[in-house]
Amino acid sequence: MAFRKRNIALSRTPEASLDPSSPSSPLPSQGVAPLAHSSPQPAPSIPGVRPSPIDGRATTSTGTASLDAILAGHAGLPLGNSIFIGESGTTDYAGTLLRFCAAEGVVQGHKVHVVGVGEGWGRDLPGLHEGREEQKEKKAKEAQERTEKMKIAWRYEGLGEHGVARGSSTSSSGQEESVFCHTFDLAKRLTLPVGTAINYIAIPPPSKSSSFVSVLESLQQHLASSPPNSIHRLVIPSLLSPALYPQFASQPQHVLQFLHGLRALLRKYPARLTAMITIPLTLYPRSTGLVGWMEHFSDGVLELSPFPYDPIQALATSAGATKDEERPQGMLAVHKLPVFHEKGGGGAGLGDAGEDLAFTVSRRKFTIAKFSLPPVEGDTEAQQGAAHDAGGGTMPKKEDLEF
Amino acid sequence: MPPSSRIPPLLQPYTRLPAYDSLFLLTSTLGASANWLIIRFLCEALANEQDDAGAEREDVAVVLVSWMRDWDFWKSEGRKGGGLDLERLKREGRLRFVDGLSGLYLPSTPEAPQQSQPPVSTSGASMPRVAQNVLPVRGPPGRIPTRTPTAPVHIAKPASETLTPQSSTPADGQSPLISPDLKTLATTIQRAMESLKNPATRSRKTLLILDSPDALLATQPIITPSDLCSTILQLHEKASHVLVHLNADDALLSLSTPPQPLEVEGHNLLVKMAHVSSRILSCRVLDTGVARDVSGVLRITGGGSNTEGWWDESDNRSEEEQGRELLYLAKGDGSVKVFERGAGEG
Repeated sequence: MAFRKRNIALSRTPEASLDPSSPSSPLPSQGVAPLAHSSPQPAPSIPGVRPSPIDGRATTSTGTASLDAILAGHAGLPLGNSIFIGESGTTDYAGTLLRFCAAEGVVQGHKVHVVGVGEGWGRDLPGLHEGREEQKEKKAKEAQERTEKMKIAWRYEGLGEHGVARGSSTSSSGQEESVFCHTFDLAKRLTLPVGTAINYIAIPPPSKSSSFVSVLESLQQHLASSPPNSIHRLVIPSLLSPALYPQFASQPQHVLQFLHGLRALLRKYPARLTAMITIPLTLYPRSTGLVGWMEHFSDGVLELSPFPYDPIQALATSAGATKDEERPQGMLAVHKLPVFHEKGGGGAGLGDAGEDLAFTVSRRKFTIAKFSLPPVEGDTEAQQGAAHDAGGGTMPKKEDLEF
Repeated sequence: MPPSSRIPPLLQPYTRLPAYDSLFLLTSTLGASANWLIIRFLCEALANEQDDAGAEREDVAVVLVSWMRDWDFWKSEGRKGGGLDLERLKREGRLRFVDGLSGLYLPSTPEAPQQSQPPVSTSGASMPRVAQNVLPVRGPPGRIPTRTPTAPVHIAKPASETLTPQSSTPADGQSPLISPDLKTLATTIQRAMESLKNPATRSRKTLLILDSPDALLATQPIITPSDLCSTILQLHEKASHVLVHLNADDALLSLSTPPQPLEVEGHNLLVKMAHVSSRILSCRVLDTGVARDVSGVLRITGGGSNTEGWWDESDNRSEEEQGRELLYLAKGDGSVKVFERGAGEG
């Protein structure tokens, strides 16, 4: 097993200098007393955990590189924190994020707890992405970056994309241990390790008075019985969805007590547990006090607002209007970030989170990027279309429909 | 660095505790938490008497009750933002922490929520067995320095709080709330306040900080706002100063089309508290969107019970009474800048 020092920024220096595998590294002493050690990193042998570049607290990947990148500069989800993702509409983009998160946990050997859904959910986890294609894509990305660098001022180069850079700085030497955030392929299926990597916590039948207590109890038991350096991920898809939860679960004394207890549990295991929760916002709007409180009990709050399906855009895409760039599928709003907003919210680390963000889900990626309207493309196309068939076009154009 | 300098000059008149008994209200929203402001109040109360106003400064003891945040958070933030060694202050008997987060709804044992007596002595026993089993293995190296009074600096190490696997150490000066019952709450807090009075025979003023008691209201529909309010007022009889932090998001307070009891109760509690408090400090996000150099807006107004002249030391009373809006920037290192609109460094 190859050990690398994790407190040295991997991306900034070529790895030749700090590279690893010296068996006389101070690891054994850290193994004896990892807590007394004053260095900020946890026991470095934990896969999928690295210190935050800001304050050194241990972070783990959400499984989505661009989500890691907007988490207030920590370049990952700080352990002991939760993210609460609301999604409006009938789509399940947030579920994709959860699957990436769970799959990342499985790949890293973390213990993944899934609440409320059956094993079918776990079977649908996306598989690991092939390395060859990744490199090809990386090359393409680099080329694209190079062209973009021509456009933007050089001084912006160093800003932003910190986590992305760190996330992709790995796997060149083929060390699977050092990968912080894997790339997954939604079209593939993850083959689960033989040891049950995922623990399914069922919602108990509605006969019980508070159905969530048993969830917390089971989580606590797992945390207590597992070794003290194991990392646990809690994944709750579609909290309070009537398809999964009994009706009374949405009463404040049930769900809010659960989330308060979960918050306590996260604080109790600040180096071992993370949680990711999604909720259907159409059923439980953000304007209600219930969801407001759920957001307060969570550490990070994101909101996905998918764009409505637009047949015109679909036609335009099929006409090849946007070849190189994928059209965003919706907006992503950041309402609260872990650690960052708890401190008061401000200073360095906000990054792109203050901007208008859009998300794009493709086969392999859940990309979060700054949202910008493509101003030129639509116009030229419309102009061309108008020039070509001014009399009677077969395809309805935007102008026709707007008036 | 004297801790008083941690309070921005523009904020100082507002965090200063008046000579008479008072109740302050602090409100915050989702994106603009008021934790930094609570830290500033802690600074004001717990800082040593070495600033210019030291002559009239009294020794103030603090009871911090938090339903949303654990001791580790306050400890690290108090150190970073306020320059306070809360652990030492707790040992010295100037601070008590009542933990309303860890034990409230987290089932330690199935019978735990039924326990009605939360004395400090049983807190160790009521802790889940996990803590007992795990801590001794990994704990001693990290915890021994925190116990030795000769080395309080060790507590201030940034690594210690991220690495301790257990957030709540059953140390003295810390009492967990096990039951959401209001009577339990009152007795626990009163006991904490009495324990602060014991070491010093002279009567010292007590600042009681309640961080998000509305969480109690939200999670326990049986508790009515008036009950909670009267409990707070009842505690106010014992504590000379009370600082109540409530969440004041639109979503929590404005009623949705079929009004939910949750929203009605939150609304009622906030309005009640606003009326009985003598000063209101409210944090909210910038109305015009996210800015890099502004974290939020701080609005300071006199509360409903403002008639007794809370602003005796100020000359321009009329201007202050109208309320004042300041901008603040809470930086990552814990420092806070408070400035007028347009006075930012740009």
